[in-house]
Amino acid sequence: MRKIHDFHGGIHPVENKHQSLHTPIRDAGIPAELTLPLSQHIGAPATPLVAVGERVLKGQLVAEATGLVSAALHAPTSGTVTAIEPRPIAHPSGLPAPCLVIASDGEDAWCELPPPCSFETLERPELLARIRAAGIAGMGGAGFPAAVKLGLKPGTQVETLIINGTECEPYITADDILMRERAAQIVRGAQILAHLVAPAETVIGIEDNKPEAIAAMCAAAEGTGIEIAVFPTKYPSGGEKQLIELLTGKQVPSGGLPMDVGVVCQNVGTAAAVADAVEHGRPLISRITTVTGAAVDEPQNFEVLLGTPMSHLLALAGYRAADNPRLVMGGPMMGFTVPDPGVPIVKTTNCILAPSAQELPAPPPAQACIRCGLCAEACPASLLPQQLYWFARGREFEKAEAHNLFDCIECGACSYVCPSNIPLVQYYRAAKAEVLQMRRDAQKAEHSRQRFEARQERLEREEAEKEARRAARKQAAEEKARRAADAGSGEADPVQAAIERAQARKAAQAAGAASEENPLQKLEKTVVTTRERLEKAEAKLAQARSEGADHIAALETGVEKTRAKLAAAEQALQDYQAQQTPAEPAPAGDAAQAAIQKAMAARAAQANKSPLEKARDNLEKLEARLAKSEARLAESRAAGEEEKIVEALASSVERLQEKVAAARAELAAEES
Amino acid sequence: MADVSYRELSLNGLWKNNPAIVQLLGLCPLLAVTSSVVNAIGLGLATTLVLVISNTSVSLIRNIVSDAVRLPAFVMIIASAVTCIELLMQAYTYELYQILGIFLPLITTNCVILGRADGFACKHSLLPAMYDGLIMGLGFALVLVFLGALRELAGSGALFANMDLLFGPVAANWKIVVVDDYQNFLLAILPPGAFIFTGLIIAVKNIIDARIDARRAALREKPVKGSKRVRVTGTIS
Amino acid sequence: MALMRVTSPHAHGPLSTSAVMQQVLLATVPGVLVLTAFFGFGTLVNIAFAALLAVSFEALALKLRGRPPGFYLGDCSALVTAVLLGIALPPYSPWWLIAVGIAAAILMAKHLYGGLGYNPFNPAMVGYVVLLISFPVQMTSWAPPRGAGEVPGLLEALRACFTPGSFDAITMATPLDVLKQNDALLVRDLWAQSPQFGRWAGLGWEWANLAFLAGGLWLLYRRIFTWHAPVAMLAVIALMAALFYDGGSSASGGSPLFHLLSGATMFGAFFIVTDPVTSAVSVRGRLVYGALVGLLVYLIRVFGNYPDAVAFAVLIMNFAAPFIDQYTQPRTYGHAGTGDGK
Repeated sequence: MRKIHDFHGGIHPVENKHQSLHTPIRDAGIPAELTLPLSQHIGAPATPLVAVGERVLKGQLVAEATGLVSAALHAPTSGTVTAIEPRPIAHPSGLPAPCLVIASDGEDAWCELPPPCSFETLERPELLARIRAAGIAGMGGAGFPAAVKLGLKPGTQVETLIINGTECEPYITADDILMRERAAQIVRGAQILAHLVAPAETVIGIEDNKPEAIAAMCAAAEGTGIEIAVFPTKYPSGGEKQLIELLTGKQVPSGGLPMDVGVVCQNVGTAAAVADAVEHGRPLISRITTVTGAAVDEPQNFEVLLGTPMSHLLALAGYRAADNPRLVMGGPMMGFTVPDPGVPIVKTTNCILAPSAQELPAPPPAQACIRCGLCAEACPASLLPQQLYWFARGREFEKAEAHNLFDCIECGACSYVCPSNIPLVQYYRAAKAEVLQMRRDAQKAEHSRQRFEARQERLEREEAEKEARRAARKQAAEEKARRAADAGSGEADPVQAAIERAQARKAAQAAGAASEENPLQKLEKTVVTTRERLEKAEAKLAQARSEGADHIAALETGVEKTRAKLAAAEQALQDYQAQQTPAEPAPAGDAAQAAIQKAMAARAAQANKSPLEKARDNLEKLEARLAKSEARLAESRAAGEEEKIVEALASSVERLQEKVAAARAELAAEES
Repeated sequence: MADVSYRELSLNGLWKNNPAIVQLLGLCPLLAVTSSVVNAIGLGLATTLVLVISNTSVSLIRNIVSDAVRLPAFVMIIASAVTCIELLMQAYTYELYQILGIFLPLITTNCVILGRADGFACKHSLLPAMYDGLIMGLGFALVLVFLGALRELAGSGALFANMDLLFGPVAANWKIVVVDDYQNFLLAILPPGAFIFTGLIIAVKNIIDARIDARRAALREKPVKGSKRVRVTGTIS
Repeated sequence: MALMRVTSPHAHGPLSTSAVMQQVLLATVPGVLVLTAFFGFGTLVNIAFAALLAVSFEALALKLRGRPPGFYLGDCSALVTAVLLGIALPPYSPWWLIAVGIAAAILMAKHLYGGLGYNPFNPAMVGYVVLLISFPVQMTSWAPPRGAGEVPGLLEALRACFTPGSFDAITMATPLDVLKQNDALLVRDLWAQSPQFGRWAGLGWEWANLAFLAGGLWLLYRRIFTWHAPVAMLAVIALMAALFYDGGSSASGGSPLFHLLSGATMFGAFFIVTDPVTSAVSVRGRLVYGALVGLLVYLIRVFGNYPDAVAFAVLIMNFAAPFIDQYTQPRTYGHAGTGDGK
């Protein structure tokens, strides 16, 4: 028997789990239309691989993972793709997001699946590839793609593999019923996961309020070496960090991952899906979802295809919309409300909670905090919630951060116990958002400072270069004149010559140190360094694009500027060469040719979008910048800032206005 | 510099920039000796007198004393004035002198006096400097007396007790018993009471100021309101 | 009907501020009953009049501050303040004493600082200390307990309160006072000579303290507060008393049992020190807070000017609570540092 540790805090809300456990898992059938959000969980959205109108088969890959933290998407049934467009989805923001809509044909015809196999015969990379290809994401909470968690760095030693069957949130019974009915599958999944990460021990953690599930799991795990750990019921023991502390006594360092303490944690649902994917080659296209709450007549668990509208499940469970003031996806502690019952089930939808108004009454008005400290007692992260609340209210975000605001897991235990009904978690969320925004702003300011300094430096350098060029030109002209004079007549005025020499010396002096080295070499060097910088900047831009970072616009302008500079430098070099070697026009022509070619190539490289689109993008960007500059100008005028600043702003606004006008003309030209 | 508005000076000293309840200067005597009206009047008069003398003298020597030594010079002047006052009080109001005790010589260190000397008197000619000293002193004294009255009333239920200490035997029966059979409310007479009552006075002053500002703002906004209404009817018809 | 959009958590626990306050009120009942049994109706009259005034003052203050009185009065915090002050005041206090105390508690200590939750000092104790400083005579005269003197009836209690001139209160020094004044007798002899003393401590006082202990234990059982601050306070008082109790010489400070069951020890430990608003927050902070209150109570009782010291000790520690909080922050999950785990 393993030692069960304890974690700080926790609460014991009314469980309300029995309501949905009267009946076995029921198949929810195939709805007429399935809506698959391309972004089902944290991480990058998937990229659709099918076009509207295309017929897809059950289990066919319809959208592939992009980037590291992403998961593939498969057709839950056979049918036709009818749309790829933004639809309302279950997301805390309530905003619509791109979805792939499939009209089912009712045939439920499978596509060709990889042959069933036994996991012992598969190598690690192969096994991982199968899990990744099946699009498995964590079925418990945030839905972190499973393959990412399992793709360990070589050389890491996992001590404990934890399979999370805790399900500590009230009402939810999806994992409970899964463990009761499919214990063997879960155990096989756990074995596969253990094979994959090679842990010293594998533990399945279950709260003691699920005796049937514990019995089933114990029976299934008999003789496999997998341990079933049972611990007292307490919310939020199912939180990954809390569960790790419960079972191992170790704490995941702040800002770190479970792997930092040698632990990999997966949900029981994920384990079952892994078993399905590896043994039968079946991708993740369905899940167990609890439908419960007083506003449904028959609370129960469904096996439901991903993309099924919630309304379909609710109807099967006998939903009374009139009794239901709010519809929650997830549990009453951490779930979020959905805007309407039509939103689809996704990989992370473990529960649909349709409470009546009496069951979960609307939050009463908050009273004053009496610093009773119940929240600090309940906090599983050992924070001081009411201190954080004061800081968040007083907008003292630095202090809130110093009090470890970002270690809050938003479990809601503090709000639950608060006798004054203060919406503490909302305060923390808002504070976190503010802090993140402030960090982004600071980063932006830092970027623009760097840009400004770079520009200043460049201007100075250009000025020096210009000066050097001018001096060189003058010198060359004088030289030529002198040579011509020398060639023309031997009786040149010596005084004139002396004057000319003096002037040349003076010019050389004026050019300063910059002109000390051979101007040709210098210009060539400029061209080379500028080209290097351009390449670097382009690489950075490409990277930023692939990551979807928010400073793309800034980088783009930087690249443009560098490109212009390169062209200027090449032009200068070419000019100089033309001047220096008037007798040999061919290489100069070559250089010009090369420059033209280069410019065209750059253009082509940039023009991966259609020119019309590009022009439009450009115009939009410019307009946005103009609007920002104008706002800034108005602001500084209103604030009565220094005249110099206002003038500078005004001139930049004018410049932008010109640019916008040019861009508009270009767009018009493109459109016509 | 020559054109100093005496009206402005008066307003500043008595209300807008009152040394006691706006600048919060000289709080030590303010809190320590205002347990009764007579103490407050005594110290208020002494402070006013010192302020007038020091402002006058500082203004007179302002062009002679160099910047580097001006603060020592000012302090010397103030100390001399305080010593004179102290001796005078020893001679004529000995009991009050004993009650005020250490707070009389401490007038030397009262920031109001040095503040006015350095902030006003050394930059202005004789008359304005004198007037400023008088008004600032009166502003300070008035707050002192008001606070003293409040505390005496709350503390012992009477007013103007022991006025003979300052005004001689004539004033022996000036005491007004406001509440008969009053249980002395010691807190008002003890130092915490001084803090509480000073805080209340400052609060009341702020309320009055806020009311005045609001009324002014309302007066300024009125024409705008009128024109708006005209425009609204215009668009409707 | 549009679906409600709210963020998690959706469930809420059963506790509310007014329920907490009501349970605190309920828990004072045994103590008040014992006080009434031994000292007559004085305390009850105190409480009734204080409650009336407190609610009126609270409503007035809320109105002046532009808050809806109905909603804020519902939290019952003014009633708690009134009851606590009413218990702390000597029985048969005149009406103006109670009025001044309640005004200081509600208007000054509570609403000048921003109302419930914002007051750095315990309102009831501020009211008590204002009275103690201002009216030492009235505040240190306690009625004799049944068995050591005559106990007035309800009518006389009302007269004592509302027409103080017509009532000649019989007063008697409290046991703590007697012990403090004593510098000649052995504790044993003092016990035998003075009628105020009972089995373990003061006559009546010991039972009142036990009753408040019972109420406090009930609140602990109801999880209204944690055990840390009261236990720390009581432990330190007992420890100090044990240290300075030299077997009962004339200079000794009374036995640990005497100190635990005298004056406002239990009342303070379970009803004053546990006031969440003005105490430290974290578990370790509450231990420190309670222990320091206990230390101050003993020091002032035995070496200070006042016979009892819970109010002073609590107010002094109210000052210190934010600092205690600063230095006793619990170790957050996943952070290195002192504390348990890892």
